[in-house]
Amino acid sequence: MERLLEPFQFSFMTDAMLVGAIVGAVCAVLSCFLVLKGWSLMGDAISHAVLPGIVIAYAVGAPLALGAFASGLFCAVATGWIKANSRVKEDTAMGVVFTGMFAFGLVLFTKIKTDLHLDHILFGNILGIEPRDRLESCVVAGVTLLIVLVLRRDLLLFCFDPHHARAIGLPTRFLYYLLLSLLAATIVAALKAVGIILVIAMLVTPGCIAYLLTDRFPRMLWIATGSAVFSSLAGVYVSFFLNASTAACMVLVQALIFLVTLVLAPKYGLLARPA
Amino acid sequence: MIQTLLSPLHYEYMVKAILVSGLIGGVCAFLSCFVTLKGWPLMGDALSHAVVPGVAIAYLAGWPFAAGAFFTGLLAAFGMSFVKRKTRLREDAVIGVVFTSFFALGLLLISMHPSTVDLRTIVFGNILGISDPDIWQVVIISTITLAVLGTKWRDLLLFCFDPQQARALGFNVTALHVTLLTLLSATAVAALQTVGACLVVAMLVTPGATAYLLTDRFGKMVALAVSMGVGTSLAGAYASYFFDGSTGGCIVTLQALLFLVALVFAPKHGLLAARAQRHSAL
Repeated sequence: MERLLEPFQFSFMTDAMLVGAIVGAVCAVLSCFLVLKGWSLMGDAISHAVLPGIVIAYAVGAPLALGAFASGLFCAVATGWIKANSRVKEDTAMGVVFTGMFAFGLVLFTKIKTDLHLDHILFGNILGIEPRDRLESCVVAGVTLLIVLVLRRDLLLFCFDPHHARAIGLPTRFLYYLLLSLLAATIVAALKAVGIILVIAMLVTPGCIAYLLTDRFPRMLWIATGSAVFSSLAGVYVSFFLNASTAACMVLVQALIFLVTLVLAPKYGLLARPA
Repeated sequence: MIQTLLSPLHYEYMVKAILVSGLIGGVCAFLSCFVTLKGWPLMGDALSHAVVPGVAIAYLAGWPFAAGAFFTGLLAAFGMSFVKRKTRLREDAVIGVVFTSFFALGLLLISMHPSTVDLRTIVFGNILGISDPDIWQVVIISTITLAVLGTKWRDLLLFCFDPQQARALGFNVTALHVTLLTLLSATAVAALQTVGACLVVAMLVTPGATAYLLTDRFGKMVALAVSMGVGTSLAGAYASYFFDGSTGGCIVTLQALLFLVALVFAPKHGLLAARAQRHSAL
C-alpha cells in the first residue's frame, strides 16, 4: 500500500501529473476537431516543423515558444501554398516541407551552441520541467482551451462542412488559420511535457477513442478529455514503477484504451458488428 | 583548403558511410516515385516510426535489426488496414493512432534498457558508426528491393496509377499492394541506419516529388529521382563530417533545397513557368 502511494510523495511526480493532465486535456479537445476534419497528420507535420524555430529563437534570444509557434505555422502555410501553386499533392507537399524543416533544424542545432537538450525537445522532460516552463505550458494550454470552447460551434461546422459554413456567412478563411494557430499553440504547450514526436499521439488518439463511442459532439469532447486526462495521470504513475520514459507510458495507456474501445465499443466496436 | 575538403575521405568510416548512404539514397528514391504517385507519403512516415520497436527488440535479443524491424513494420501496416476496414475512422486518423502507439512502445523498451539500445542511433541514424554486419544487411535489403522493383515496375506502376484497371487486366492487386508495403518496410529499415526514424520519410518522398515536378514520363522520373537521391546522399554524408555527424539532417536539407529549386524553376510545372504561361494566355 505504501509502495503504491510512493509516487505521490515526490513533488516532481505530482507536478508532472498536473502538467500531463492539463496538456492532455487541451490536446484531447483539439483532437476531436482534427479527427473530424481529417487533419490528423497536420499535427504530425507542425510538431516536427517547430524544431528550426526553437533553435533560431534560442540563437537570437527570443522566447522559444514564439519561435516554435511561428515555424510550426510557417510549415502549415507553406504546405497549403505549395499545394495551391503546383501539381504536388497536399500530403506529399506536407511530407517534403516538414521533413525539410526538421532536417534544417537538426543541422542548425549542430552549428549553434545551445544548452538545449535535443532529447528533451524530442521526447519531453515532464519529470524535470522547470517552474517557468510549467507556467508557460499551462497558460498557453489554458488560452487555447478557452478559445476552442468559446468558438466550438463555429469550428465544428467548419470541420464538418466548410461549404455550409461559408454559405451561412462564417469567416472560413479566418477559421482555417485559427484552427492551425490553435494546433501550433497546443503543440508548443505540449512540447515541454511529451516532446514533439509523441504529441502527435495526444492529438489523434483521444479523438479516435471518443469517435468510436459516440455520435454527439459535446459527449465526444468529454470522452476524449476524460480518457486523455486519465491516460496522462496513469502514464506518469506507471512510469514511476517501470522506471521508463514518461511520455511513452502516457501514450501507451491511451493506445490501450483505444484498443479496448476498438473491440468493445457498443455501437462501432468490432464485437458490436455482425462480421 | 583542398586539404580540408579532402580530409573526410582519409577516414575509412567516412568513405564507407558515404558509399552506403548513396546506395540507400538511390533505393529510397526509386521507391519514392511509386510512393508519390500512389499518394502514400504518410504510409512511409508511419512505417518508418513503426519499425522502431522491432529494432529495439532485435537489439535486445541479439537478432539482426532488419528482422525485427521488418516484422513490426508489416504488423503495423496490417494493423492499420484492419482498423480502417473495420471502423468508421478516417485513414489518416488510423495511421496516426497506430504508428504513434508503435513508436511509443519502442521508446518504452529503449528507455527501460538504456545501456543496450541507443535511442539516438534509432532516431537520428548512425551511418558514421555503422558496423560491417549492418552494412551487409543494408546491401542485401537494397539488392532485393532493386531486383523486385526492376522486374515488377510496370505492374506496380499500373497499380499505383489505376488499381481498378490493374484488377480488370487480371493482376493480383492484393499481391501488388502487399509487395509495395513490404518494399516500403524493408527500405524504411535500411534508411533508418542513415537518416534515422524521423527523416526516413523524406528519403521516401522528396526525390519522387522533385522528379514529378520535372517530368511527365515515368522512366525519366525514376532516373531523375535516383540520381538526386544518390547525389544528395553522397553529398550529405560527406558534408556531415563538417556538421558534427548530423548525416540525416544534411542529406534531407539538401533534398529539400533541390525540391525548392525544382518548385520555382521546373521547365513545365514550376512557378516561373506557370507565371509565364498565364502571361502568354492574357
